[in-house]
Amino acid sequence: MKSTQYSEKTLDHFRNPRNVGILEGPNVAMGRVGNPVCGDLMEMYIEVEDDRIKDIRFQTFGCGSAVATSSMTTELVRGMTLDEALEVSRGDVADALDGLPPIKMHCSNLAADALHEAVKNWRAGIRPDDVGTEPVATSCAATGEAEPVEIAGLDDYEGKGVHRVVADPAALADQRVVVLDTGDAAAQTAIALTDHTARVVLMTTAKDPEVSAATRSALRLSDVKVLTEAQPLSLHGEGELERIRVHDLNEDEEYELTADAFVVLR
Amino acid sequence: MNKDQARGGAGGHASPSRDIVYADYQSAKPVDPRVVEAMLPFMTERFGNPSSLHGVGDEATAALDDARVRVARFVGAQPDEIVFTSGATEANNLALIGYCRRNRRKGDHVLISEAEHISILNIAKVLEKEGFRVTRVPLDLYGRVSPQKLRARIVDETILVSLGWASNEIGTVQPIEEIAAMLDGTGVALHTDAVAAAGLLPIDVGTVPIGLMTLSSNDIYGPRGLGALYVRKGVQVAPVLVGGGQERGLRSGSEDLAAIVGMAAAADIMVAEMPAEVARIKAIRDRLVERVLAEIPDSHLNGHPEQRLPNNAHFRFDGVEGEAMVLSLRDAGIAVATGSACSSKTLEPSHTLISCGLLHEEAHGSLEFTFGRFSREDDVERIMAALPPVIERLRALSPLYRAKA
Repeated sequence: MKSTQYSEKTLDHFRNPRNVGILEGPNVAMGRVGNPVCGDLMEMYIEVEDDRIKDIRFQTFGCGSAVATSSMTTELVRGMTLDEALEVSRGDVADALDGLPPIKMHCSNLAADALHEAVKNWRAGIRPDDVGTEPVATSCAATGEAEPVEIAGLDDYEGKGVHRVVADPAALADQRVVVLDTGDAAAQTAIALTDHTARVVLMTTAKDPEVSAATRSALRLSDVKVLTEAQPLSLHGEGELERIRVHDLNEDEEYELTADAFVVLR
Repeated sequence: MNKDQARGGAGGHASPSRDIVYADYQSAKPVDPRVVEAMLPFMTERFGNPSSLHGVGDEATAALDDARVRVARFVGAQPDEIVFTSGATEANNLALIGYCRRNRRKGDHVLISEAEHISILNIAKVLEKEGFRVTRVPLDLYGRVSPQKLRARIVDETILVSLGWASNEIGTVQPIEEIAAMLDGTGVALHTDAVAAAGLLPIDVGTVPIGLMTLSSNDIYGPRGLGALYVRKGVQVAPVLVGGGQERGLRSGSEDLAAIVGMAAAADIMVAEMPAEVARIKAIRDRLVERVLAEIPDSHLNGHPEQRLPNNAHFRFDGVEGEAMVLSLRDAGIAVATGSACSSKTLEPSHTLISCGLLHEEAHGSLEFTFGRFSREDDVERIMAALPPVIERLRALSPLYRAKA
């Protein structure tokens, strides 16, 4: 079945999603699930009163079924007790949408999981602002200490893609440059490089780059792509740097990022 | 194919209906009505088999020989260097598997790039199972293979380099002329899949020393189910399909004469009209790129800004997923493609975009427009009436998108 052969009900929930947004307040919890390979990310917010889901909202980055299953889940569980909500399965959501194409059943049907996460977070006393910080809490960047990171191959590729200083940003023209977040100087270097190449990534192990407020807003306005919760592990390439192996701290998965230059300021 | 696509695909002068803006020419092209006209007699009164010895067969042989001359002329080849196949996929199989099997005594190493079409990638896996070693050459930021990086990976056992002339996906054009010149005389053969490039870029194997080249009939507005492999004189390939020995023994099976005549007619039209047609299509494409980048915030052009197919505009939009865009644009009557995993059978994002250095979430946000013979200037206006609100709506749903202040 083609991925676009959705039921009318699925298409309706995609075109007119219900309960989009976020919730705030003391009685709110949030569950976030995602699959980096599939490219779906869902956030489900619940407001709890008397052990029931009084209100519910979602935000989703994903394909048609990712949006539709999120929307349907919010419709299904509003007013349920938390125990009842934990019983709602991916299959229930798919059934309520008159079925999903088989290929979508696994990857794009994570809304029930996001809901269960939200309930678990509520019961554990984890509030929306804390979600996602647990895996990084142990890394050095999250504690604000600029400890050197062990990156395999850093010395081997020095002068062959690894730069410990960027004296001449123009020398990196048209290269894919990854700058390791080591503070304000690194972020400023990244911003300066965007005048010379279309691809500059600022990689940080933290949830946000460890920079001053002024640098943070400059970053936001710049063309620098900020890659958060990413730990570089090792460098690879035939004679010169071509790929950086990265540990996604949020998803606890590893992947390779193509790069020509890796800037780790001394 | 659903009925919307069928209607849009036959747009322009094939059908006055303009319900759909069809901007997915890389997936399928309508057959030019002039081509259909040329084919029809070969399905009825001129139905002969070129292998037959009687007059009906002789007439078929004459038509086949004539078609071969015309397809060869389109790419600057000699007629006996053209082998008709059932399509580009078969031509790629014949090129890679056929060449490697025939030349195994010379070596067991093959180079492909990370920008290759899925058929090349999967054929490479078959070669690996047969004991060949395959190395993939990385891409630069824009999807180009660097001749230096390619050369650095050639070893004594290397017998073949297979590199697409241009990416059917992001549209980036490879430095084929430079690489062909570099390999010329080294004993390493060059195969190029020119399906995406043919009809959009000038191709002349008389001046570019390519050993093997894949062509597709539909991609020059001929019928589907037909392709061709150019095999330079002196380049040896073993047949992959065996039988009655047609096509100099390289591709057995009675020739689909009507389709072959159709491909020849399509090639003739290209020879006559390509420069003017390409200029017209490029103007439409350029207008779309200019407007998207100017009017939609946080939009990016993937691939090379200049070294790209003149009909291709490949974008990504921060915080938005591709399939969701395609579905929404479909509701707005616009047919386009995406490199998003969610639209693929494997659920993997485009390997070409990842190899260009994009993150998964970025590769998922890609949208590909490809224009062609029946595209019209006002297609851009219709696309730009629909696209910005689609992006805005999906960004409002997205936890990933935060507008720059």
